[in-house]
Amino acid sequence: MAVQESAIGQTLERVKIKERKQASLWADALYRLLRNRAAVMGGLIAMGLILVAIFAPWIAPRDYATQILTDNNRMPSWLLNLFPSSKGYVQISEGYLLGADYVGRDLFSRIIYGTRVSLSVAFMGPLIALLVGTVYGTISGFFSGRVDNLMMRFVDIMYAFPTLLLIILLMAVFRSTTQATVPGTLRYTLTSIDARVGGMFFIYIGIGITAWMGMARLARGQILSLREKEFIEAARTIGAGNVRIMVRHILPNILGPLIVAETLAIPTYISYEAFLSFIGLGVNPPTPSWGSMIADGAMSLRSYPNQAIFPALALALTMFAFNFLGDGLRDAFDPRLRGTGK
Amino acid sequence: MSNRKSKLVFGLVVLATITSVVLAGCGPTPVPTPTAGPTPTPKVITQVVTPTPAPITGKLFLNLGPGDVPTIDPALSTDTSSVQIVEETTVGLTRQHEETTATEPGIATEWKQSADGLKWTFKLRNDVTWVKYNTATGKVEQVLDKDKKPRVVTAKDFEYGVKRTLNPKTASDYAYVLNFFIKGGEAFNTADTKKLSEAELKKLEDAVGVKALDDFTIEFTTIEPTGFLPMVAGMWVAHAQPSWLIAEKGDRWTEAGFFQGYGPYTLKEWVHESSITIIANPFWPGTANIPKPKINEVTWYMLDDTPAMANYETGKQDAASVPLADIDRVKADPKLSKELKIAPILCTYYYGFNTKKKPMDNPKVRLAFSMAVDRVSLIKNVTKGDQEPAQWFSRPGLAGAPTLKDYPDLGVKFNAAKAKALLAEAGYPDGKGLPEITLMYNTHEGHKKIAEAIQQMWKTNLGVEVKVANQEWKVYLKTLQTDSPQIWRLGWCQDYPDANNFDKEVFRTDGHEYKATNWSNKKFDDLVDQAGRETDLKKRTELYAQAEKILVADDAAMIPIYWYTRVTLTKPYVKRTFSVLGGLEHIEKWEVAPH
Amino acid sequence: METEPTLPKEIIANLENKYRLNDPLWKQYVDYLTDILVPRFSTAEEVPSLLTDALIRFDVGAVHVKWMNFGPSYASRARTVNDIFKAQLPISAQLGVLALCIALTIGIPMGILAALKQNTRWDYLGMSVAIFGVSVPVIVLGPLLIWIFAVTLRWLPATGWGTWQQAIMPSVALGLGSSALIARLTRASLLQVIREDYIRTARAKGLQERLVVIRHALKNSMIPVVTVLGPLFAALTTGTFIAETIFGIPGMGKFFVTSIGNRDYPVIMGTTLLYAIFLVIANLIVDITYAWLDPRIRYT
Repeated sequence: MAVQESAIGQTLERVKIKERKQASLWADALYRLLRNRAAVMGGLIAMGLILVAIFAPWIAPRDYATQILTDNNRMPSWLLNLFPSSKGYVQISEGYLLGADYVGRDLFSRIIYGTRVSLSVAFMGPLIALLVGTVYGTISGFFSGRVDNLMMRFVDIMYAFPTLLLIILLMAVFRSTTQATVPGTLRYTLTSIDARVGGMFFIYIGIGITAWMGMARLARGQILSLREKEFIEAARTIGAGNVRIMVRHILPNILGPLIVAETLAIPTYISYEAFLSFIGLGVNPPTPSWGSMIADGAMSLRSYPNQAIFPALALALTMFAFNFLGDGLRDAFDPRLRGTGK
Repeated sequence: MSNRKSKLVFGLVVLATITSVVLAGCGPTPVPTPTAGPTPTPKVITQVVTPTPAPITGKLFLNLGPGDVPTIDPALSTDTSSVQIVEETTVGLTRQHEETTATEPGIATEWKQSADGLKWTFKLRNDVTWVKYNTATGKVEQVLDKDKKPRVVTAKDFEYGVKRTLNPKTASDYAYVLNFFIKGGEAFNTADTKKLSEAELKKLEDAVGVKALDDFTIEFTTIEPTGFLPMVAGMWVAHAQPSWLIAEKGDRWTEAGFFQGYGPYTLKEWVHESSITIIANPFWPGTANIPKPKINEVTWYMLDDTPAMANYETGKQDAASVPLADIDRVKADPKLSKELKIAPILCTYYYGFNTKKKPMDNPKVRLAFSMAVDRVSLIKNVTKGDQEPAQWFSRPGLAGAPTLKDYPDLGVKFNAAKAKALLAEAGYPDGKGLPEITLMYNTHEGHKKIAEAIQQMWKTNLGVEVKVANQEWKVYLKTLQTDSPQIWRLGWCQDYPDANNFDKEVFRTDGHEYKATNWSNKKFDDLVDQAGRETDLKKRTELYAQAEKILVADDAAMIPIYWYTRVTLTKPYVKRTFSVLGGLEHIEKWEVAPH
Repeated sequence: METEPTLPKEIIANLENKYRLNDPLWKQYVDYLTDILVPRFSTAEEVPSLLTDALIRFDVGAVHVKWMNFGPSYASRARTVNDIFKAQLPISAQLGVLALCIALTIGIPMGILAALKQNTRWDYLGMSVAIFGVSVPVIVLGPLLIWIFAVTLRWLPATGWGTWQQAIMPSVALGLGSSALIARLTRASLLQVIREDYIRTARAKGLQERLVVIRHALKNSMIPVVTVLGPLFAALTTGTFIAETIFGIPGMGKFFVTSIGNRDYPVIMGTTLLYAIFLVIANLIVDITYAWLDPRIRYT
């Protein structure tokens, strides 16, 4: 009994040390991040976008779905001065800050509400990727040997599959085979979940399914280098189980690089949504998403440039924010840059 | 707006069922008497002729819509782009006039029905020869036979064409159209090639009711007296096909360099996925209704509407259909507005109901949904192509279809108050208590815009939130046939210019969309059957009007939305015709002035 | 016309017969693999058929050898998957190479500039420009370029492929997107390398800063950049659906999208296989380039 007590005590001691060290690692990173002006700006914009998404109903002057058909394609006069080529056929209506779309919906309000869709893709994609990928990669890396080999070959095979093709394939399958209308079946449940979130559910899954492989590889690589470290050895000696080691000791240490990688991948996910909208596999109308607005607007770029350009600007701003934030985070976490003074 | 690469449907399925009552050639389609076509010239071509000295000049650039032309083999063609090329490079025994839709002489100059009504004999021209484009010399040449004599298009080539289409090994999607009429057609077409020996197959082939009596006479034997056989015999699947070439080049005979045809044009170049070019056939004799071509080369690009519009504006294309988003701009543009033409085409855009699913099993709910659609506003603000608000299904302009002039109050019109009242009457005041309703359409920019606008109309006028979903065309079609949603979208274009092709073939019990609507009404069926038999045009129209009333008002099985138009731009130096046949142009009638 | 009646059962049976679709699934799969992997020999003159067409055809004396038959496309009744590879792949490859060149010419200098002037105005400006490239989707950039350079200025043709004028707009529209990725990688990698000991050594021995960067740092910092070039090239060559649609280019990219909508299984299988082969070859080239960039890397 006594022996065991002391062992636990030792572990606790070690954990404490670990935590202190960890805290300093994260604090160090934060300090570094805050000194990176671009990253701070990116972070601020990202936070602003999140706020816009949350408070969309307060910010948007109109409802995103209400149409005034007779107001279709209208522009306010300041826009018309900006795009003089549209003069002559566009009717002026000052009531729309950025103009109205093809069925007379307020473009500005739709962009505001569209933040929700784009940001939800931006976070749900990585979340699924992190959850699945990290668990998969951790198991694979931790057990090594035959399990690792088998699991990683599967990832390799999936990797050779073109990402977009896989997403389109998945979307096409989801969309076509889940149109069940008999309540109580799994298909029906999935379809109604999808319908409730405006057709976003399958986009999350599609992105998640294709994104986890990168995460799995990264996580495995990190673990392989960690596994042989002394503190893991120590934890094992004092009798910690596999799960405990994985969750308590390994995960916190690899989370940083994983989060960085996912932040950098966010713009890619957002552009996937735009691509899917372009080929008609995006959200269900009237759910506003930047991707579908850009896809619709691009068709009328010649006649009504505002309908594509403003959602595209919103998308660009978001990409800017996450790119800079991601870069900043990476710089902050990368131990090799530590102590270089910059 | 229309789905450019959609399948052409010669839905003659139901027609077959009524032919039994069509006696002595009284069909629903007024049987065309061959107009004063040129009598066959007795001179048979036996020597290589030099083309007429008058050179054919000029080039024309058009657009066929995105994606490669699936095929230009007459036996295999199913969609508008394929048939467009086939109709210019080969000519049927008869041909539909692209503006009046009348059946006119093609290669046949006259035709007649036998006394018992079962046989049709066609007399052919003897001055049409097979031609091919020689890539080495850059000239169109006559095809020579073993004796170095030009190959004349004969009745045997037509017989071969029909039999090749029917051959189960050819696996033609459209063979079934012939099956319904031609004796022995179905037996041959549905033969099991795996079980039957070559000899047995040959026996079935010989039993098919198509026979070349001599070089320029062909006889069709029908299952039942069939008044409109001349129209069917003119379809592309029954065009003459070059047996010698197909034996040599197999599936590849339609490639540029190999291809042989005999129409006013022949294939010059086919850059897959990019463009297809046809070149004038100087040996085409020129007939009263298919003149000698006046433009030497016609190139079709395979582009989306938006890039095609850019090409038109930069002068790289001579005609283009205007993308929806650019209509207002074009109308306001001083130059482009003069080149704009909005012409009707014989199609109807509609939404259908699955009358089995709640709440669409209630006719009152259906009518409420139909009445809540403000068609005038939709056309003015969304589709913008000066389409006509549809009050019923069969498009005015078809033989037997009611017209707005004679029947101004037939069918459904927008009436928000009445729609609301109907919904309340049905037990769903302001949409309360309604289950989830889905509207589905096939993935397409234009369909999406219309669906969004109508979704909102239902919300405002009825207080109903309808879910909107979309699927890819192929998948969508399967969904409609297996488990169609409460509301779905489709369009229908004429295959032959008669209301029978609309009302009866689409909505009669067991019609094309029966599985999607699950709607069956004995009275409607009787009315359209009766109309098919009726020969007096006025009475027929009245019968169709009564049928339409049941279809769109009493039972409200569908929502007629609008009658199509085509919005096209054509350069001022192009003199052209505007086909109502869903975009099948007869280019040999076009002219291009030097520019 | 905008609908399609369900085909009669017999017609479907004819089609299934022709395309061997009524065989059991395992047999179809085995046949598919056999057609691709096993060469066919024949001496007789064969009538061309879409079913026996092959990607590689040559004659050994009187014997015709046909190898790699990817099957017919269901969506087209005139072409096989091989035809699509032969005609469309070179166009996509050209577009891919051009776009990659543009991505490198813009991305690498931008990345170097940003790294050397880390956290200065130049850094932010360079990265901003690069990210702007990736942020404006081709869907918007494409029509915008057409509007400006084709319709308004009439400098370049709006659509088509074949002349250098036609190649400019699509390559730029595609390349800009990837330049951001290249720039970011270059920057990050150069930042790491520049702090390595051997760079310090080079500096210490009094080498000019410019030479240090070009001769020592840059070469080594290119390794991560080269790593992504393989997949990037594969992506640029195959994932060009939008650019192809907008600029009317007859490339491969559209088949990755349309074949799924059409349920054109041989094309889906063929293009996927092709992509995988592409990726393997691209990665092999990348591996070889490693050895040149960093002689320490050895393969055993």
